[in-house]
Formats: sequence, structure tokens, C-alpha cells
Amino acid sequence: MVTKTEERELNQLENQVENGGGGVWEYLCLVRKLKVRRSEMVLKHGLSILNDPGKRSSLGPDEWTLYEQVAVAAMDCQSLAVAQNCIKVLQKKFPESKRVGKLEALLIEAKGMWEEAEKAYSILLEDNPLDQVIHKRKVAMAKAQGKPSLAIERLNKYLEVFMADHDAWRELAEIYVSLQMYKQAAFCYEELILSQPTLPLYHLAYADILYTIGGLENLIAARKYYAATIDLTGGKSTRALLGICLCGSAIAQLSRGRNKEDKDMAAPELQSLAATALEKEYKQKAPAKLNLLTSALRSLKMS
Amino acid sequence: MAEDLVLDTAIRDWVLIPLSVVMVLIGVLRYFVSKLMRSSPTPDAKIVKEGQVVIRARNLKAGANFIPPKSFRARRFYFSNEENGLLHVPKDQAQNPQAQMFSDPNMAMDMMKKNLSMIIPQTLTYAWVNFFFSGFVAAKIPFPLTQRFRSMLQNGIDLSTVDVSYVSSRSWYFLNLFGLRGLFSLILGDENAIDDTQRMMQMGGGFGFDASKSLGAEKDGLDIIQHEWALPGFEHRAESVLRKLVQ
Repeated sequence: MVTKTEERELNQLENQVENGGGGVWEYLCLVRKLKVRRSEMVLKHGLSILNDPGKRSSLGPDEWTLYEQVAVAAMDCQSLAVAQNCIKVLQKKFPESKRVGKLEALLIEAKGMWEEAEKAYSILLEDNPLDQVIHKRKVAMAKAQGKPSLAIERLNKYLEVFMADHDAWRELAEIYVSLQMYKQAAFCYEELILSQPTLPLYHLAYADILYTIGGLENLIAARKYYAATIDLTGGKSTRALLGICLCGSAIAQLSRGRNKEDKDMAAPELQSLAATALEKEYKQKAPAKLNLLTSALRSLKMS
Repeated sequence: MAEDLVLDTAIRDWVLIPLSVVMVLIGVLRYFVSKLMRSSPTPDAKIVKEGQVVIRARNLKAGANFIPPKSFRARRFYFSNEENGLLHVPKDQAQNPQAQMFSDPNMAMDMMKKNLSMIIPQTLTYAWVNFFFSGFVAAKIPFPLTQRFRSMLQNGIDLSTVDVSYVSSRSWYFLNLFGLRGLFSLILGDENAIDDTQRMMQMGGGFGFDASKSLGAEKDGLDIIQHEWALPGFEHRAESVLRKLVQ
């Protein structure tokens, strides 16, 4: 994940570049280092450097890395002709290169020719069966063709070997959620929480899933995770606040019959506090919708 | 014996400085040669998988208190159960890493290359120093030493009355050998600080990724953990956070 200082620096450079100041090369290097996805900017400014022979030769050997970066950005923005040109230049310079081979296969994939792309990737995988990027491209292709089960199968095989790759776990969780396989998605989010327990995003997603699966035990756990999210974000996550209110009312509904069970009122005021915090936030940010909120909260407390 | 020997400045010009310069140059040369000779390592699938398993097991240990008890127990079972747990290494498979190292030709070649690239320049430089720069006092160490160091630091000097602080050029060579590591990491970038001393230490015990031992260690670590669900505590903290916010 990108740190705050890096993010600030990136935004600063971006503003500078957009407004015509210098620093294009530093911006491109930073984008490459942080692996963020700013394809339009990269394409526009990268091309401006590459098309100017003076600036291009001043880059020296980094010129080829820039070609690669611009090719990928062009494919992301669907300007395939630009990508084709960049790849042709790279091919002339590095004829037998696997890295250029990857770019070619990526271009075939971008054009939508799925079978040929599959063939190209399989050939590349034969040379290097442990290439993470190519495995992920195959998963992406399966997803793009609208075959989520195939994507799941490939992702699972990938994760059997590379089980510490948290981006892959996240992707798998999202595919499961889209297919409504909530239990498996919950497993994936647990993996994510294990690898980065201080990230409120994962706690929130996990709580959402637990709430969706339902059942008293899961609702109680969901409430706890919403509370964790609130704690980690300092109370700013509207979704978590709403989650707490909904959980509270759902738990009250389910446990109406058995009052003696542990309603787990470890924090009895949590729900009312969350409601108050929500009202305060709506007053600040969206005063027009405040009525909707208060009526919704009232109906929750009734049921 | 606290006599002050006056050392000729010519010694400084013709011994100390050239020796340092030569060692720096040899180090730089060695760096480039090793870069040329280095074969890109083809990672073995099994080793990669084991590396990732270890990372995942470590994450489990670190974040165990953040997931519900049932999931934690399920995962722990997955990792360390007797039949097909990921971290469980049956006794006969715990191979001797040395044997494995020599049976794999690639690894053996790599190690040989690394060792050669380190040993040969060292030996040559040492012989050169001995041949040309022996038999005279080269420098004075600024702090006093005991008599024990005499044999180590004063090889070429056959006078037993000379203060041990006056050393021969051999010790200057060793000083440079260990001290230039920092300089190399400055000039050559962090990637290849020629850490001879580290490599010498590594050569002694096993080699590379000692898979079976680390898996066993992780398994023990996991078995020890008591799961204490941290989430209830979060509810209290969230309450206080909100209270402050609402105030």
C-alpha cells in the first residue's frame, strides 16, 4: 500500500506536471515505483517525452523502460496503435526478450483475441513456470471473458503456490462476493485481515460479509468488526456507523425470543452513540438528507 | 617502552595510500566481474511455495487475535496437522542441506563461482602485500595494545622491543579488508556491498534457504499460541472514540 508521504508527493508532482511545470520524468519514475495506475497521465506525458528526440536521448538506457511503461499505459487507455509502435521499437532493440514477449501477449489480450493470447501466455509459462505476472494475466482474461468460475479455479491454483500474495486474496474475495459464495469470501477476508490487521478496509468488508450471511453468531461478530473499523478510522467511516445500527436492530430482532442468552452487551451504548455520530455527520455533510436518516434510524429502533 | 618512533612520510605516500587504492579498485573490479558471471537463478517451485507458506504462517501468528476463534483453529489445523499439514515435515524428508546442495549442479556451480571470486583476489593481494610491503613499520595504532597482538600485527618486524602499537602493512591490509565494506556500499549502491566477512560467516553453516528447519520452527510457534480474540476489546474502544466524537 502506498504511504501517506508517498501519496502526497505523487499528488504534488501530478499537479506540477499538469500545470506545465517540469518534473515529468520524476513523476513517471514515481508512478513506476509505486505501481499506481495513472494510465492517462503516463500516456500523455510519456509520449511527449518519447516523441521529442532531444529529451528521449537524454534519458539514456532508461528510454526502454519508458517505452515499456508507455506501452502498458496505452493498452490501458485502449490506444492500441500507440502500444503497437512502442512494442515494435522494443522488439527491434531486444529481439529475443521474454519481457518484450510479455508485452506482445498483453497486446494480443488487449485486442480481445482470447485464444491466441492464451496460447502466447502458455508458451511464456513454459519457459518460466513461476512467473507471477503471467498467472495473474490468465486470471484477468478468464474474468474478462465472463467466466468467473474459471477465474476462481486459476486463482486458487495460483494461491496454492503463492499464498502470501494479498492482492490475489483480495481479488478472489471480490469474485466470490460477485458470485454470492459468501463463506469462501469470508475466508479470503480473514486471510487479508491476518496479513494486514491495521487496515480498516478489510475489517469493514469482513463485517459486511458476516452481516450478509446472517445468523446470530455472525451478526454479533459483524458488530464487533464494525466496531473495529470505527476504532481504526477514528469514527469517520459512515458505512461502519450504519453497520452498527443495522446489526444492533437485527440482533435485537433475532434474540427477542431468548433474552437470557448472552446478548453480548459488551458495549451497550454503542448503538445509540453510533446513531448520534451519524446524525452529526449528516448535519455537517448532507443536511438535506438528514430527514431520511432520522426516519430510517427511528424505524430501526422500533423493530 | 614508550618511545616515539618517527615514521617517514614516504611510508604514508608509498604504502598506505597505494594499498588502499588498490584494494578499492580490486573490489570494484570484482563487483563487475561477479555481475557478469552471475547466472539468473531459476527458482524451484517447491522452494518458492515453502517460502510463501512460511510467510503465511507468520502472518497467522501475528494476526491470530483478529480473527474468530473457529477460523484460527481451522487454519492452525491446516498448517500443523500430522497427515498433510503444510508445515509438517516427516522425519525422513528433513534432508541434510549440504547433501542437497552438492547434488544440485547449478547450486554447486554458483557457490563455487562466488567462493572463487572472493578467494582469488584476496589471496593475490595478500601475497603481494607480503612480498612488497614486509619488513618495516607501516603505521602506528593510536591506542595501546597488549603484547599478545605482537605476533598478529608485527609479522615482518623482528625487533621484540618495538611497541606493539607500531604495526606492519599486513595489519593495514586486514584493516582495509574489513573497513572498506562501508565504502563499497556507498560507491556501488546498496545492492552489492561486497560483504566478504558476512559471506565468510555464511559459508560455515548450511546454505541458502534451510526449508525444513524454518518450517519446523513455524509449526512449533503456531502450536504454542493461545488464541485470545481481540475484537470484544474493540467494541469498548469504538464506544469511547464515538463518545469523544459526539461530545
